[in-house]
Amino acid sequence: MTCSEVQRVLPELLDDVPEGAFPTAFADYAFADDAFADHVKSCPACSDLVSDLKLIASEARQLAASDEPAPRVWVQIAAQLRHEGIIHEPEQVRRPVLVPSGARRSGWSTWWLAPIAACLVVAGAYVISHKPAQQMAMQNQPAAVTAPPAAATAVTPSPNVSATPSAKSTLPKTVVPHPPAQKSVPSPEGVESAAKADIDPEPSADDRQFLSVVSTRAPSLRATYESQLQTVNADIREVQLYLARNPSDADARQELMDAYQKKALLYQIALDRIQ
Amino acid sequence: MVAGLMVATCLSAAAVAQTKKEYRYTVGARPNISVETQYGSISVKPGNANEVVVTATLKSNDVEVDHQQNGNRIAIASHLLRGPDQQSGQVDYELLVPPDANINLRSSSGPLSVEHTAGDLTLEGADAVVDVRDVQDGHVHVWTMRGPITLTDVRNGHVEISSISGDVHLKSVSGPLIQANTSRGKIFYDGDLGSGGDYKFTTHKGDIEVLVPSDVSADFQAHSVLGRVQHDFPLKPRHSRFREEVGRSFIGTSGQAASEVVLRSFSGRIRLKQR
Repeated sequence: MTCSEVQRVLPELLDDVPEGAFPTAFADYAFADDAFADHVKSCPACSDLVSDLKLIASEARQLAASDEPAPRVWVQIAAQLRHEGIIHEPEQVRRPVLVPSGARRSGWSTWWLAPIAACLVVAGAYVISHKPAQQMAMQNQPAAVTAPPAAATAVTPSPNVSATPSAKSTLPKTVVPHPPAQKSVPSPEGVESAAKADIDPEPSADDRQFLSVVSTRAPSLRATYESQLQTVNADIREVQLYLARNPSDADARQELMDAYQKKALLYQIALDRIQ
Repeated sequence: MVAGLMVATCLSAAAVAQTKKEYRYTVGARPNISVETQYGSISVKPGNANEVVVTATLKSNDVEVDHQQNGNRIAIASHLLRGPDQQSGQVDYELLVPPDANINLRSSSGPLSVEHTAGDLTLEGADAVVDVRDVQDGHVHVWTMRGPITLTDVRNGHVEISSISGDVHLKSVSGPLIQANTSRGKIFYDGDLGSGGDYKFTTHKGDIEVLVPSDVSADFQAHSVLGRVQHDFPLKPRHSRFREEVGRSFIGTSGQAASEVVLRSFSGRIRLKQR
């Protein structure tokens, strides 16, 4: 069994664990088959993932007794995120809505969508407000146009995950992703040819993971989400190509921001809707 | 004949599986009501002042309705028991609510409809057709991926609409804030633009068409980065920091400039027309 297979089957396995049995099940992988258990025991990454879930499941049990989680929950999660390098400096941990309140909800596997959605908006705002348009447009050509930052790819849920378009103004700076690495500046002819070739841009790794989750949790919606994701990615790409030639066009910069917000909206709808 | 019998048997089995349930709640002023279903329609109409009546039609036994009342808050949710399946998981809801209720509806497939209410509305759906008519004095927030959105007779509304591919139709919609944003869909507005409102319609590729009476009172600003822009009645020029470009943008005033109207697109066409 591979890491990706583990991540794919883990939600289903967890669904089968009776309520209240999480700590025991996690301790001895009683909810899984031998291949799963063998892999997790031998793979540090998957072992860490399961450990994180164990922590979350353990703390989530306490949520049933009180409406408000203990502050140590967020402190522990923040410490774990810092340990994994997802956040890089100490910060005052806010109290996000991290664990679904419904006891029957099993949507933990979509939590990672929230920080990605937030990061998309923040990335758009950051890029537009802090980078010269020419530089910004060029550095995303052509493969990394819509790739969210690496920090957003973690499966571990992140605090402060309000992912509505307006979330950009409330996220701490430590969650703001680094802008994509600069690449060589293509010629205008290259931009034109890239634009023509860019009918169906390749989805990023996070997009693929996003679609994978949709396929698992709501297969009948996969086609819809995929087509809409292609739409927003194409829009982002189109505006970026335009900005490469017209870096001072303020309306186009605003349009790019809007396109990023659309992508965040897509992730947000998935986060809200997929059970 | 055998095939016919099989079909008839299947149909009768399906008919048997379909059940209708009714839930009644006593509420106070301005109750908060949320309904969430992965598959199915949600229809909201005004009822008695202190009562909420929910009629749920379940298409199979593979789905159940979770419902909860906490004081003035009512939460209804479809719960898929055997995994996601659009056929068996469908639940259609019909609600009778106090006219001042705040309503939150989510459905991937829809349709979603609300009429004759005066509270805040939040409607979200992927493919859901959204229809809101004859509402007033509330916030109206609508998100869809590709579901078309129609608002009719909205007075004193605070309207925010966002869609990726859905068309937006606004007929006699006015209020202090009216915003619509769609990537690939079209925006059509037919109304008087009220008085003292901010109207902002933006698209990426979709066309924007605004139809107004001859005595409309508004400041207009329109710009399409790559598309055509036109208006078919005279506007008084006004000072602006934006540079006007024939065929791509226009800025001007009609009447006493009671409202502010911003029309913006990346490559869609923008038309301002007189009735």
